[in-house]
Amino acid sequence: MDKNSGLVAVTGIGVISPFGAGFEAMCSGLLKCRSCLRPLTIFDSELESAPVVAEIRDLPALNDHAGYRLSRTDRLAVHAALDAARAGKTATDFQEGGALIATTVAGFAEILPSIASNPARYYHAGGFASVTAYPAYHPADAVGEWLGLHGPCWGVTVACASGAVAIALAASSILAGEVPMMLAGGSDALAPYTLSGFNSLQALDPDPCRPFDKNRKGLNLGEGAAVLVLETVEHAKARNAPILAVLRGWAMTNDAFHQTAPDEHGRGLAQCITQAMAMAHVDPGEIGYVNSHGTGTPLNDVAEVKAYETAFQGRSAPIPVSSTKSYFGHCLGAAGALEAAVTIAGMRSGALFPTLRLTDPIESPAVDWLAGEPRPRQLPLAMTVSAGFGGSNASLIFELPDRSV
Amino acid sequence: MSLDQPSITGIGSVSPFGPLRGLISSKEMEPRTVTAWPTDGVRRAFLVEPFRPADIIPGLKTRRLDRLSVWCLVAAGLAIQDAKLDLEAEDRSRIAVVLGTGFGCIELTESFFQSIATNGYAKSDPIIFPEGLSNAPASHVARIFGLRGPNITLSHKGVSGEGALMQAASLLRTAQADVVITLAGDTLTRTMYEWFEAAGVLSSACFGQRPVPVPFAHDRDGFVPGEGVAVVVMESADRAAKRDARVYAGLRSGHATSNQKAAPNLVRKTIAPSSPREVKTVIASANGSHSHDQVERGILQEVFGAGVAVVAPKAILGEFDGSGVLRLITALSQTESKERSLSVLFGTCATGVFAAVSFESP
Repeated sequence: MDKNSGLVAVTGIGVISPFGAGFEAMCSGLLKCRSCLRPLTIFDSELESAPVVAEIRDLPALNDHAGYRLSRTDRLAVHAALDAARAGKTATDFQEGGALIATTVAGFAEILPSIASNPARYYHAGGFASVTAYPAYHPADAVGEWLGLHGPCWGVTVACASGAVAIALAASSILAGEVPMMLAGGSDALAPYTLSGFNSLQALDPDPCRPFDKNRKGLNLGEGAAVLVLETVEHAKARNAPILAVLRGWAMTNDAFHQTAPDEHGRGLAQCITQAMAMAHVDPGEIGYVNSHGTGTPLNDVAEVKAYETAFQGRSAPIPVSSTKSYFGHCLGAAGALEAAVTIAGMRSGALFPTLRLTDPIESPAVDWLAGEPRPRQLPLAMTVSAGFGGSNASLIFELPDRSV
Repeated sequence: MSLDQPSITGIGSVSPFGPLRGLISSKEMEPRTVTAWPTDGVRRAFLVEPFRPADIIPGLKTRRLDRLSVWCLVAAGLAIQDAKLDLEAEDRSRIAVVLGTGFGCIELTESFFQSIATNGYAKSDPIIFPEGLSNAPASHVARIFGLRGPNITLSHKGVSGEGALMQAASLLRTAQADVVITLAGDTLTRTMYEWFEAAGVLSSACFGQRPVPVPFAHDRDGFVPGEGVAVVVMESADRAAKRDARVYAGLRSGHATSNQKAAPNLVRKTIAPSSPREVKTVIASANGSHSHDQVERGILQEVFGAGVAVVAPKAILGEFDGSGVLRLITALSQTESKERSLSVLFGTCATGVFAAVSFESP
């Protein structure tokens, strides 16, 4: 058997984020430790004060497709997918591929609350078309439409773990031989609906968030999209595509504990991390960095630290951890995919991105908190971790290609 | 049937036929009159009658949950019973949950919008918000039954149920789970019904003006909406045999495409290495709509000619995105035979997505 058999390659990375359009804009912003968190301006949230968010102020234009209505979430997904596909060698490279695009917001941003009072009147007053982009499958469908994909285009919605789950499922489909190539990731736009929801849960930090800090007060919402092009290493080599990283392992678990709170001991997340390392055939000591879920909420961050203490037992040194939500907020269904892109960016640039505003971290002997400036470090193997409402967890392990390919 | 073939060993459902364990054997159902919201004249649909969940699954608490979550819990409980899975003895970290749904928890999403319309964005309801997330039903199934494996909710128009079956099979084949509780379904709400009405896609049967049209018939004039949830317990044939479980059917293969021209080859690929003439039954997606049924008939004729039995369960279930698994368990009762046979569950919707999943009888 070929030594690369069973390995999934990342051959394209596309991003649109509060740093701007493109993967390179995100890498540059991260290396400069630039925070994108500031008061909301792109719409009126109607909350008591403008919430602190990470917004994309200048969304680039897209060519319209006749009869196809795009929500803001759809537009973000298509931008990221087009950015990811730039590395395609020919126009038909992606034709037999599919898409797995995660979202939680989807087309909510386009719908007004008055729909609930009298739907028929809402539709007749011009709301009819806005609803076509409502379903969770629509961002995936839009990516398929704009890239001319003939493979399956599934929407994935697993709350805030969605983006990482989409990448894991796409990799599974590729390894199972169901499809030769997938564009996988997540997309979510800021929307009054979700700001209202997280505000009602008292989960929003009125200031820029401080993940893992003892004085953290909650999360900030962000928006964006990230899409990875995934295919087997053999397939990538056959079409002479650049291999940016290798997805060595992944896992998905559920806490089976509570709809909104994580297992306080982080058991489900620890198991997820352990299973991903088992799949990748790596020891805890080989992981050089964890891009954490790190929302900045009191419950999440403590549970996450407990998970690291369990999963990384036996290391000779604490595991370096940071939360890049301190740069661009919590992008919900896009978060796991954006953070996968961040993880690969760190590996490729040889830098560990710190958590911003982390001055008084949760004490843990198992964790090496990254704070201050980016830390130069060669990273052969790194991990990203996601969790979400409903208790879902996902973990992805990436490797630089010259080690495994 | 190969040892690793994903196999269906338990079935539960909540449908217009009520909450049921095992296959749905009824062949007739009439749409009911909508009473849940004010209507301008008669409006009909294939609706689930209200029931008390705790009467079906003793002790089950479902207050403040979306109906989709409630139905998923009840149907999953029935399927687990039907499969005779002893959850106390199982490694529940190896049991996954996969849900396919077109619209998720739309009822509570509407309630959340209503709370905003009434109280403003700053004073919306914190209890409703997380329960309106599309993955809430699968999460509740995990929480109530203690299932700690992968928990996935996916969506793709009218093939959301077929997608759930394919994803479940993928998890089993890649050893990411030993058992998958595979759910699919949707609820029907006022916003959806009135959207269909505004779009002009409903049959006049919805307004009491004619009987429900027969799918593929010349006089079809649109669809009748439906709702429901079906759940199948899936595990490898080998595992099922070791615990002496009844196997309803084995999933051989499944594929999906967004390209109509590729759909005939997709079906051929799904039944390979068998030939089309070896297929005993096609479980169609036809719903009575002109374009939908015409496209499907063309694809099936190209692959099978006139030599295959076609059943169209939407005639008694109605149209909804997550109908795939419910159509399957309705049709399997009609195709049960002592001889090994091959069936194809075909899914499509008017906006251009096609899925085929092949099943072998045990």
